[in-house]
Amino acid sequence: MAVITLPYRYLERLTRTDRKTILEKISLIGSDVERIEDDHADVEFFPDRPDLFSPEGVARAMRGYLGIETGLPMYRVRPSGISFTVDPNLASIRPVLGAAVIRGVSFDDESIQSIMSLQESLHWAVGRGRSKVAIGIHDLDTVTPPFRYIASPRSRRFVPLDYCEEMSMDEILEKHPKGRDYAKIVRDFPLFPLIVDQDNHVLSFPPIINGERTRVTIDTKNILLDTTGTDTRAVSVAVNIICTAMAEAGASIESVSVGGEDIPTLAPVERSVSVKECSRLLGIELTAPQMAMLLHKMRFGAEAEDTETVKVQIPCYRADIMHDWDLFEDVAIAYGYDRIISQPPPTYTVGKPHAVLVRADLVREVLCGLGYLEVMPFTLTSEEIMYLRMQRPEHPGVLRVMHPISIENTIVRTDLIPLLLEFLAMNRHRELPQRLFTVGDVVHHCTTHQQAAGVSTHPEADFSEAYATADALLHELSLEYTTVESADPAFINGRRADIMAGNRKIGMFGEIHPAVLNGFELEHSVAAFEIDLRAVSGYHAMPGTP
Amino acid sequence: MAELTQNEKRLLAALGKEERTFATPLAGLLGATPEAVVQWAHLAQEKGLVATERIVARELVYTDEGNRYLETGLPETQLLREIRQGATVEDLRKHAAFAIGFGQLRKKGLIRVTGSAVEKIPGASTDADEAALKNPAPDDPRTKDLIKRGILAEHETVQHKVSITPEGLALVQAGLDLRAETGTLTRDQIVSGTWRDCNFRRYDVKKLPRRLYPGKVHPYQRIIGEMREILLTMGFEELYGEIIQQCYWNFDALFQPQDHPAREMQDTFYLSETLPLPQGYEKVKAMHIDGGGTSSTGWGGTWKEEKARQCVLRTHTTCLSIQHLAAHRDPPVKAFAVGRVYRRETIDTTHLAEFEQLEGIVMDEDVTFANLLGILREFYNRMGLDSVRFKPSYYPYTEPSLDAEAYVEGIGWVEMGGAGVFREEVTAPLGITCPVLAWGLGISRIAMLRLGLKDLRLLHKSDIQFLRETPVITDAEGGI
Repeated sequence: MAVITLPYRYLERLTRTDRKTILEKISLIGSDVERIEDDHADVEFFPDRPDLFSPEGVARAMRGYLGIETGLPMYRVRPSGISFTVDPNLASIRPVLGAAVIRGVSFDDESIQSIMSLQESLHWAVGRGRSKVAIGIHDLDTVTPPFRYIASPRSRRFVPLDYCEEMSMDEILEKHPKGRDYAKIVRDFPLFPLIVDQDNHVLSFPPIINGERTRVTIDTKNILLDTTGTDTRAVSVAVNIICTAMAEAGASIESVSVGGEDIPTLAPVERSVSVKECSRLLGIELTAPQMAMLLHKMRFGAEAEDTETVKVQIPCYRADIMHDWDLFEDVAIAYGYDRIISQPPPTYTVGKPHAVLVRADLVREVLCGLGYLEVMPFTLTSEEIMYLRMQRPEHPGVLRVMHPISIENTIVRTDLIPLLLEFLAMNRHRELPQRLFTVGDVVHHCTTHQQAAGVSTHPEADFSEAYATADALLHELSLEYTTVESADPAFINGRRADIMAGNRKIGMFGEIHPAVLNGFELEHSVAAFEIDLRAVSGYHAMPGTP
Repeated sequence: MAELTQNEKRLLAALGKEERTFATPLAGLLGATPEAVVQWAHLAQEKGLVATERIVARELVYTDEGNRYLETGLPETQLLREIRQGATVEDLRKHAAFAIGFGQLRKKGLIRVTGSAVEKIPGASTDADEAALKNPAPDDPRTKDLIKRGILAEHETVQHKVSITPEGLALVQAGLDLRAETGTLTRDQIVSGTWRDCNFRRYDVKKLPRRLYPGKVHPYQRIIGEMREILLTMGFEELYGEIIQQCYWNFDALFQPQDHPAREMQDTFYLSETLPLPQGYEKVKAMHIDGGGTSSTGWGGTWKEEKARQCVLRTHTTCLSIQHLAAHRDPPVKAFAVGRVYRRETIDTTHLAEFEQLEGIVMDEDVTFANLLGILREFYNRMGLDSVRFKPSYYPYTEPSLDAEAYVEGIGWVEMGGAGVFREEVTAPLGITCPVLAWGLGISRIAMLRLGLKDLRLLHKSDIQFLRETPVITDAEGGI
């Protein structure tokens, strides 16, 4: 999530109202106020609205929402006469280039910080960690156009930002902090992307690092923006968001010619939407002029074409408008969620619990009746608990997560008894007897089903108790069963049985092996049982699973 | 007044006649030891029914030696009788009483010894000493001397005097039930009818019993059960399904772009397993690439089948909702699921890598965003949360989207969950033509508030004392 710092004085100047009014309403356009400080507020915006990742963008939206300035913001773009060429060899490396000239900026330390943080937020939200889009900001007056975007040999040397000596591009990936962070994006390419000027001075090695030469300082007056990437739409959204934010701050925007095309245009996109569809989606009756007015509040251009249609001009920075419904959401926000009269749908249906979970509840009823206390262990566990301490071989259907967060969470549970023994170990100091059960999901291969298990520990816990308890549960569940001696090493030989339904093993019970008790550091005998609930009548095969 | 035991009652009855007497005769009367009587008397005294008095008496008794001297006279008396004219020490030494008697006679100045000759002092007599032996008096110096010589001994005896108080007397006069007490009511007594004559031993109702811990459903499961109940009574059908999901159902079918950050390894638990894509997946693919002929632009870029095939631990239960909808395209559908979901989060007191999510959907002709607000309000109200408000939010698969907040007494506005209308990009490729209202809610947050937990891990790695002591009714103030 992007948390944006909004300095009050700057925000008030741009919004043309006081901080109190702004902060009162700011969450109503879609944000969470994280912190209110003396001189600024930190506000979190959603990733679909990168145009709100700067004070300039927030002020633009709030002017509309508060009715200070509504409708489509207009941005004038003059041609700069500056051109870029794009090396065709980049087609398979990093083909897309966006650029712009921003003149008449007046930086201080704070506003440089502000644009740097916008750049970083865009790298995250639009650029997918620079792989899709990377942005470079340069002091235009340190270099000479025209510029070339080329695929360069990796041995090319220049002085990267924050360094004072030349390094080869390979060395930068190895030694420069930014090089190390982003090396994975370009490492496998034979040639590296590079932007140079007429005199072959390096502006940027995208998406890794700029050259030191074009560093932006408080003396910078004119900016050259380069944006490279793999996706045309994302690259142009990033350019549009930065250019319009800088224009809001008072700069003027000029286009550059990239491969013969003048960009950016900062022109709105048009979309005609149905008033009826919007009213039906939101459940509020709207006319075309009302809808247009609400869209103005959200900074769209909008006019009623007829009673049924509104023609909308979408500002170039609104990357999130992919579908008509995206505009309808803005209509709802402008209308105010709190003003919408909420009303449950008239849809008549009959409630129905799921058969599997009904059976789980019946297991709970029986085991509680037998004095067992329910516990709800985690479903992620480790080989250590599930197999090693149980003296059992690994279940053939065990699933391993590829990047576990800790050694305690490496696999998805295939059995329940080990987790109950872990519980007993955690509660050694508590009063005996302890009788615990759990009913819940286990996963074998890629299939989830429910099992139930119980353990009882006290000085007299034995095979007979395990047998009697399992028998009671099986009887209550109307499960016809037979028993056979089992070979399960988790139990004492001669005090263990498999529960069979026909030829299928559906569970087991017995007296836990003392070596297992030692493994869990338990000091009293444990009677245990576990039952696969798929054997219970009415347990349906799961629907809707491919 | 506290209950009287049978023995206390018998004591009072005895005292009703005697009013004031010693424990020893009482013991005889009651057929018990004096010690037992004293114990009962103390119990009755605590209830204000009798008074006890401890009387300590000193008594002089003869030692064995003293008893002999009573018959023979003191050694000095015996020796004095033997002293005649011209007696010598040597003569007297033959007498058995010499060893003690000679010294005593000299000490008392009753004889004069000159060389070996011994003669009586005129008028020498031990009569006063003999009198002191026969009738000892505690303050007589002669008696004290006899005590010192081990002829007499001082004995201390303690006597308990018990007397009934006016309250006790009133109780006795009102009548006491003196029949024998019955501890366990036996089958014989019930069947034979002798229970009619039984005097059941009374128990002290103020004394707490040993706490018993019943077998119980986990308090968290109980909260889950309450929510299921609410949704069932609101006409929703319950869903249950796979923990292991393909990315296709977990992400792609929900229009999450393949390069979305939430799909990355650091946020989602991936498995090396893959599953084949379902029929008709091409429509989802087309939607991602260019909007598949709807008013959507799609995400652009590429869409890779192998990414969609990969299995993950489900990151939300929405994957169950969408599969249910894909299999039930005809309206109406009202369904919900409560299930465990997985996020690759670092585990701490408020974050778990697995937690329960509740998810509900309503699909019908003409259901609206306003209906979604209505159903949410209804749901939260039924959970006891009367003040609910909504604000804009963002979820990749809903538009419009919202977050619901409820007012909790003592805490303020608490975020309760997200909701929205499924995007057409989600519904269209699956052939769903009606709007779908959807909402989700992390239940553990509610459990934390309801159970007053500071650490979410306690729900799953519990001290069983917490489970034993948590009552089945836990409604806090403010209705959470």
